[in-house]
Amino acid sequence: MAAGALSRERDVREAYAAHSQELYGFALRSLRDPGLAEEAVQETFLRAWRAGERFDAEIGSLRTWLFAILRNVVIDLGRARASRPRVASGGIEPSVDPLDDALLAWQVEEALRRIGDDHRRVILETYFRGRPHAEVAAELGVPIGTVKSRVFYGLRALRNVLEEMGYDG
Amino acid sequence: MTAEGCRNRREALGLYVLGQLAEPEREALEAHIEGCPGCRAEVASLEPVARLLPLADPERLDKVPAPPPDLGGRIAASIAAERRAQRRSHRLRFGLAFGGVAAAAAAALAIFVLPGRGGGEPSQRVVFESVPPGVAISASLQPKPFGTEIRMEVSGIRSGTLCRVFFRRNDGARVPVGTFRYRYGGDSDAVLSSALDLSRASAVGVRAGDRTFIQPVKSQPLTEEST
Repeated sequence: MAAGALSRERDVREAYAAHSQELYGFALRSLRDPGLAEEAVQETFLRAWRAGERFDAEIGSLRTWLFAILRNVVIDLGRARASRPRVASGGIEPSVDPLDDALLAWQVEEALRRIGDDHRRVILETYFRGRPHAEVAAELGVPIGTVKSRVFYGLRALRNVLEEMGYDG
Repeated sequence: MTAEGCRNRREALGLYVLGQLAEPEREALEAHIEGCPGCRAEVASLEPVARLLPLADPERLDKVPAPPPDLGGRIAASIAAERRAQRRSHRLRFGLAFGGVAAAAAAALAIFVLPGRGGGEPSQRVVFESVPPGVAISASLQPKPFGTEIRMEVSGIRSGTLCRVFFRRNDGARVPVGTFRYRYGGDSDAVLSSALDLSRASAVGVRAGDRTFIQPVKSQPLTEEST
């Protein structure tokens, strides 16, 4: 999409079709409330539309931009929720860092979803579940060297997906 | 080291950066990495991924919650509503900008508001094109024996705004036509008259509040001047 990508309502619909599920998933995880998550996604697209002229496709991806807006919306909604009387008033402002960690975790999980099944499977079994390589190889019916190479190419694929998603760290 | 040998070793770099390579394989690979710029670069590009990976929760991979099916429609509706509200507020802001000058100018100007529309020669309707969103200004120009009758139609500006109408003559001079005050909801247009023959006018203009709008008049065959 060109600069000013969301200035037209049709562009908002396209952006919604492409990114709403992810945005909603992250909002739901951060806010733990489906109603608030819907509100967050709605507010995100409204803000994006209002600022549509300022979006510059040369600088970053639309997805990254939407997530940056959502992050702020989630902080705002989190504050609003924290300020409601029923919540104990400890006067502690929610830290931004846990949200950034949550956002990063969300991105990594999304990246894991996007890589190939074979690659994801070996990373899940060997790294996350800590199973021996030989066992995983036997279960998959492949040589152990294949497990090794799938981990390697899986990490490469993850790196590429994360880069596409705007992660530059 | 052959290219094939390096490739085999390189494929072990995934397990290596994840800390899953056992001795003595790990040590041997590290020795290779020391002397292989290609493998060093590969390690450098995979290490950030390996650092991020622990953040992910594998149990959540299969659970992708979907937003409610009507959320997209609700967002589209709220954007459409906001767009409409913006248009209204543009009109309002424009109207407010008009208001300031109006009162001061009112007393000084003569007003010629005549009822009815004359017959005779065909009239020309001039629609002002350079106006803010929500504002419409047009002028029907009717040649008359005494000069020209000007029927002004204005909408979208603040009620009470003083509008000062003028002709620009072919020689560039500005000729005042008259003034009227726009009233919202009033269904009678302001009808003004000028002694200037329409064939001698190059443009018609309106100064409304502190904004001036000018629209060219279609050139007419020059008629005998009525003096």
